[in-house]
Amino acid sequence: MRAGGHHLEAFATANPDVTLAVLTSGDGFEVASYPAAQPITPRIAAMSSSMQALSEALTREAGLANNRNLIIETDDGTVMIMGVAGTPRLSLAIVAKKGELLGKLLWAARNLSKKLETSLRK
Amino acid sequence: MSATSELKIVFAGPMGAGKTTAIAAVSDFPPISTEMHNHDQESFAKASTTVALDLGQIGLGDGTVVRLYGTPGQDRFSFMWEIIGRGAIGVILLLDGSSPSAPNDLRTYAETFQRITPDQPFIVGVGRLRPEDGAKLDACARVLDLLGISAPVFSVDVRKREDVLLLLDTLLAILEVRDSEVAQAHG
Repeated sequence: MRAGGHHLEAFATANPDVTLAVLTSGDGFEVASYPAAQPITPRIAAMSSSMQALSEALTREAGLANNRNLIIETDDGTVMIMGVAGTPRLSLAIVAKKGELLGKLLWAARNLSKKLETSLRK
Repeated sequence: MSATSELKIVFAGPMGAGKTTAIAAVSDFPPISTEMHNHDQESFAKASTTVALDLGQIGLGDGTVVRLYGTPGQDRFSFMWEIIGRGAIGVILLLDGSSPSAPNDLRTYAETFQRITPDQPFIVGVGRLRPEDGAKLDACARVLDLLGISAPVFSVDVRKREDVLLLLDTLLAILEVRDSEVAQAHG
């Protein structure tokens, strides 16, 4: 899972307003993160897996197809959660300060997700 | 639908206690589930685990709808306990009676939900008990005594609809008695 950590680091370096990126198992365990070993990361990992599961349950109830991402905008920044396709229920949680443009963050996060998918398939 | 005709009951307890199964046993529709693959086979060897909530519903026939919320069992999801517990009229604590940690689990969850849902009644359902395990029910009753919590303790098979209905009926009966006592006290 070291490759996952490298991808997260490269992503955060290229997007300096990103404060935390966490790759999480479907049942709420941290798989990789950047910055590593932050005290808040295990809770963010558990919460993002709950949010991902709830958003999937909501879209199922609404009769909508697979959800791509969940975006929470606040006055101070953005939290983005998205599944990593082709993996056994991994999801990616990204926390960014408000300086980051939402569209740019979403584009970059989708690229990161594709890289993780390719890397984890190997 | 008015707020008074909707009640919220929470099923809590450790991973593998049977919360998802209990709700599915009585719900009027297939429960909304947030189960994911369980990577923590050491804690409990089962294929999947609830990571956010279960949501079922049962109608009481008089127009009252009881929403049945199940919590995730693991500590790392304790933030969901706080969210789900808000507004609950009572808590059904489920325990795995075959686990040696059952009395400790009861202490942990009873203390936690007493804080989250103060003054609301508890019912305790202990599953996977063998006929000779009566002492385990007594141990659970002693834990509740030590915590100063008055709550009935039942041996249940949460796969059986009638067992889960017994827990719900008991909880609703306690609420009914309490409400009538409050009404009498206020004359």
